[in-house]
Amino acid sequence: MAFSRLPGDVISRIFSLTTPRDACRVSSVSTAFRSIADSDQVWLQFLPPDHCDGVVLPPISPKKSLYLHLCDHPIPVGGNRNMSLSLDKKSGKKCFMLGARDLTIAWGDDRNYWEWIATPESRFNEVAQLQYVWWFHIIGRIETSMLSSGTNYAAYLVFRFEGHQEGFDWPVESHVCIGSEELDEGRSVTLDPREGEPRAVRERAHGWMEIELGEFRNENGDDGTLVCSLREVVSYKSGLVVEGIELRPQEMH
Amino acid sequence: MSSPPSASASSSPPPCPKKMITLRSSDGATFEIEETAALQSKTLENMIHENCASTLIPVPNITGEVLARVVEFCSKHAEAGVDDESLGAWDEEFVAVDHTTLFDYIRAANFLEIPTLLDLGCQTVADMIKGKTPDEIKKTFKITTACTPEEEEEVRGENQWAFE
Repeated sequence: MAFSRLPGDVISRIFSLTTPRDACRVSSVSTAFRSIADSDQVWLQFLPPDHCDGVVLPPISPKKSLYLHLCDHPIPVGGNRNMSLSLDKKSGKKCFMLGARDLTIAWGDDRNYWEWIATPESRFNEVAQLQYVWWFHIIGRIETSMLSSGTNYAAYLVFRFEGHQEGFDWPVESHVCIGSEELDEGRSVTLDPREGEPRAVRERAHGWMEIELGEFRNENGDDGTLVCSLREVVSYKSGLVVEGIELRPQEMH
Repeated sequence: MSSPPSASASSSPPPCPKKMITLRSSDGATFEIEETAALQSKTLENMIHENCASTLIPVPNITGEVLARVVEFCSKHAEAGVDDESLGAWDEEFVAVDHTTLFDYIRAANFLEIPTLLDLGCQTVADMIKGKTPDEIKKTFKITTACTPEEEEEVRGENQWAFE
């Protein structure tokens, strides 16, 4: 009872210090809590700041609806719209995808090797389609200041195959680092494992697939630039289509 | 008897010479607090600057028991040379109290506009809510003015993902 007698804006502040999931749960506790827990005052705190770091939020009201919209509908970030932002529903943590145009792709400007095509299945204007290459090296960078603090992230390559695919049944080296400092020895990922071999590839929406490149914990967002890279420069490869690299918050245990 | 100059001389000096302020609770108890400590309360800061001559400030909304602890909190947080880790540990102990007392601290911090205490109190309660089911929340805070079963069903239906 003592809790309910606290001033409304104090209760609102308390709810906004929990998580979006907790705010929804607490809204089923009592009628008074429901109106506070559903209020704009609380949900504003779960949203990323508007007009900041290239983020412009759609004009959706109330704030809770805007929040839910951002969980299922990534919005473009920055002037050139080569990056997208969405939110992890339960925690409100930010999820970014670096579109292919935002990545550094070796030989990406040479149409002999990589083509840039528009496809309705992508949230971005263009995706990168590999014709063929021996020197396969893709790098994605994002400032840790853009990521949610106190959060474990994993990086994923978002891709599919098209046309004649070759060479991806061999492992590719992936690394997730801060600047040039490697966080661990990296790992080997196989985008197209042969039958019977372990498969770390997962299906995604709209015909895309993903594979985890590495993990990173963002404490305060002051670690500088996070660099995710994929590299295999020995064998002949073709048929890969890259939508981007996604940085997704991991559920805490 | 005037208090010795505080080591935290980096804050800009108030218009009046540094002194002890006396606070009087709703039940008539009085408590002395250094002005630098009192300035952590925006409410007290305004009152001090408005009326330099008087050193007795009535605080009608807060009982002696709670006010004593609030004075303790402000004094601790105004102390120089306390590292973040020790202060954090001290804060943790400060809020390790029963719920009624915790809410009293929050109410006092809200009324006196003490951001550090308000943040601490609110975060402590928030941490008690996190991860709990609605029934656990009701039980923890002894909430009796619950929703009707229909209303609860409605909320669950609208927010299914939160109840998974």
